[in-house]
Amino acid sequence: MITSHNLKFSYSAQKKFQFPDISCGDRETLLILGQSGKGKTTLLHLLALLLQPESGEVIIGGRSIKHLSHEQIALIRAKTIGIVYQRAHFVSALSVIDNMLLSNFLAEKDQDRKRAIYLANELGFAEHLSKKTSQLSQGEQQRVSIARALMNDPNVILADEPTSSLDDLNCQRVIDLLKTQSASIGASLVVVTHDQRLKSEFSNQVIL
Amino acid sequence: MNLFKISLANIREKKLNSFLSALLLALGIGMISLLLLLNQQLDEQFRKNIKGIDMVVGAKGSPLQLILSSIYQIDAPTGNVPLAEVNSLRKNPFVKTVIPLSMGDSYQGFRILGTTPKYIEHYKVKVAEGHIHNASMEVTVGSKVARNAGLKIGDTFASSHGLDGEGDQHDHKKYKVTGIFAASGTVVDQLIVTRLSSIWDVHEHAEAGAGKPEEHHEEAGGEAEEEGQDVTSALIQFRNPMGLMTIPRQVNTNTSMQAALPSIEINRLFSLLGVGIETLRAIALVIITIAGVSVFVSLYNSLKERKYEMALMLSMGATRTSLFLMLLIEGLFLSVVGFFAGILLSRVGLMLFSKAAEQDFHYSLGKFAILPEEVYLLFAALAVGAIAAALPSIGIYKLNISRTLAEE
Repeated sequence: MITSHNLKFSYSAQKKFQFPDISCGDRETLLILGQSGKGKTTLLHLLALLLQPESGEVIIGGRSIKHLSHEQIALIRAKTIGIVYQRAHFVSALSVIDNMLLSNFLAEKDQDRKRAIYLANELGFAEHLSKKTSQLSQGEQQRVSIARALMNDPNVILADEPTSSLDDLNCQRVIDLLKTQSASIGASLVVVTHDQRLKSEFSNQVIL
Repeated sequence: MNLFKISLANIREKKLNSFLSALLLALGIGMISLLLLLNQQLDEQFRKNIKGIDMVVGAKGSPLQLILSSIYQIDAPTGNVPLAEVNSLRKNPFVKTVIPLSMGDSYQGFRILGTTPKYIEHYKVKVAEGHIHNASMEVTVGSKVARNAGLKIGDTFASSHGLDGEGDQHDHKKYKVTGIFAASGTVVDQLIVTRLSSIWDVHEHAEAGAGKPEEHHEEAGGEAEEEGQDVTSALIQFRNPMGLMTIPRQVNTNTSMQAALPSIEINRLFSLLGVGIETLRAIALVIITIAGVSVFVSLYNSLKERKYEMALMLSMGATRTSLFLMLLIEGLFLSVVGFFAGILLSRVGLMLFSKAAEQDFHYSLGKFAILPEEVYLLFAALAVGAIAAALPSIGIYKLNISRTLAEE
């Protein structure tokens, strides 16, 4: 469950953003569509607590994220939010499974190797677990990053342009995975994109 | 999964960079450590043999050469002096002992030293097998000589002229081994000790053989210190420090001999070597600094490449401090590897050096224990690694997570 109220953010006096309130309950999905420059990534970073809003607030799992220290915010983010980026990025020195376990480690949770293997089977990259991430194709990498976002059983999954660099086949596959996996752990799924292919996939939509 | 594992993975990811950093550090540490080892062991060898000898007298020439040849048996002797003149020093009330030495022959590269029983007393060497020689042409050999030249009690051998083992053989008269000294770690280990009279005997016969008929004379037995004979040099002990004030000058002005003071000459030798050692030490420090810079550049570059990774890890809940620790572990790990590789390198170097010294001078420098100074060296290496890691880490504290993630 994630909601926001009156979020405002400005990079400079000319570049100001005011965002519509959003709300996405558990097991629900929300598509935020917008052209470049409309502040899609800024909104996602505000929702992901990577940026502090100028005014307004973000509420995750019924808890308002305000007046907290950087360390507290970092821990809340690690434990309750899973983020999937436009292009999958990893710690390149580590293997696929270690990159997944890394999110457990950084969220100060027990490292759940069984869950990593389970997710790898679900998302179809079990044979690549001990490879370096750079040896995988882009579609595979994106699936690994989805699995990584699921490792800590987050309340919310935020996806930033998860499909824009993928072909139609992989696009469909990734969006299906996001939907089924977030539903299976009871999380809210918020997708931010300009990818018009996704319009038909989501009933709840916000247009920036 | 822990910080240490991530750091190790990062080091493995950049194998060549890591190797270069560790190699440079190893070279620097190895050089300094080798210098420390050599310095300590040479010093020990030199001081041990000098103990109790206040002055050396011999033919005029280089005082350092006189000390090196008479005490350490590594340089050529300066020449001969009359035994009578040496013995006249005994009359001086400040002189406690006079130990005349006669050398010039060798067997398989080991020097044959003609001297009095006082010499053996002075170095406090014990006999391991057999008994000390008690007649002319009998010898007692040092432990290293017995081992390397394969001499046993009862063996006979002909000496060769000169000290390099390549001179003519005096094969008309053979030495007989009557005893073997126990290893003492002193110069005696590498000597063949005999009476002064043996050396005279051998050379008189040599001259006779060369065509100068001379009356054959029988050794009288006992300690024959014949006047009219020559010796190479003599080791002198004083009764009290007053001797030091007067005797060297007397010897230098009133006799055909020169007096050399071991402590002064050895200090001079060390100060001569010191210039070289200082230079090597400076080079080693430069190498260590370069190693530090190399670790720094390597971490800094990888940090630039890994900026996104860092932002990613921060967004996944890592604290900036834990990322700093991660870099620190990388730096320290390279330092530790470099340090131990360096220590290993210095031991290999010492082994090679020791082999060379053994061959040329019969001195062995075989002590491989960790020196206390090397513990400081470890701390220095760790400091280099820590500083090299800490500098690029400033970037982590300035990193803007949102911007970095949005930019790529």
